Amino acid sequence: MTVLTDLPAGHDFPPIAFSVNAAQSRAYRAATGDTLPLYDEAGLVPPLAVAALALGALLESVSLPPGTLHASESVTYVSPVPVDATLECRARLAQRSVRGGWVVSVLDSDILLDGTTAVSTRATVMSPAAPS
Amino acid sequence: MTTAPEVAPVTRQLTQPMLNAYADASGDHNPIHIDEAFAKTTAMGGTIAHGMLVLSFISEMMTGAFGRAWLAGGRLDVRFRAPSRPGVTVTARARYTETKDGRHRYAVECVSQTDEVLIAGTAELPGVM
Repeated sequence: MTVLTDLPAGHDFPPIAFSVNAAQSRAYRAATGDTLPLYDEAGLVPPLAVAALALGALLESVSLPPGTLHASESVTYVSPVPVDATLECRARLAQRSVRGGWVVSVLDSDILLDGTTAVSTRATVMSPAAPS
Repeated sequence: MTTAPEVAPVTRQLTQPMLNAYADASGDHNPIHIDEAFAKTTAMGGTIAHGMLVLSFISEMMTGAFGRAWLAGGRLDVRFRAPSRPGVTVTARARYTETKDGRHRYAVECVSQTDEVLIAGTAELPGVM
C-alpha cells in the first residue's frame, strides 16, 4: 500500500465513492457518545462522521506511518448529509514538508453530495520521518 | 446589537474501549490509538485518542446549541494542542467572541479535568438563526 509520506505535494487521490448508512451513523454516535436526537429525527449523519469516514475510506488506499499525529483540522459544513446518500470524496495532498524529524502533510478534501460540496476539510498530520 | 446564544458544554470520559469503538466506526486503526504495546514504544508513552474523536465533542456541542444552522454553515478551525489519553475527562466548551460579516464566532476548546488544553480554535456559523 502507498504510504502518505512517499507521495509528492500536489498528488490527487482517485475519487472515492462512499455512503454512510444508518448502522454506520449509529456506530459512530455510539463511539463518540453523541445522543442528540436530531440525526435520527431528520435522517441525517453527523457531519464530522462524514469527514471521519471519508478519511477512513482514503486510508484503505494509502497508509499513515505508525506514530502519525493529527496536528490541526479545519472543517466546513456546507449542507446536511442524509443517511444512505451517495457521496464522493476528492482529496489532494496539498502540502508536504519536512521539519525537525517530522514529515508534515496537509490533506485537503471535498466531500460531494449530488456533485456539490457538502463538507470540506483540511487536515494537517505529522509523521515520523524515516531515518536517512 | 446582535446576541449569540450561550453554548452548553459537553463532558465525556475517554476510555480505551471508546477509542477501539471509534477506530472501528471510523476505519482509522492507527496503532497509536489502539495498540498499547506499540504506543508504549512511541514518544506518547501509551495510546492516545483520535483527534477527530475528541473534536467530535465540540461539533456535538455546537449541533446541540444550533441544530441545522450548524450542520449547514458551521465551520471549525482547531489545533490539537496535547494528546488526549484514556482515563481523561474531556470538557468541550465555547465562548462567544464576536459577530462579523453576519457570522457568529466562538472560541472553542477541549480541556482535561486538570484544565489542560487539548484542542483549541474557533467555531463560526451564520448569525441568522
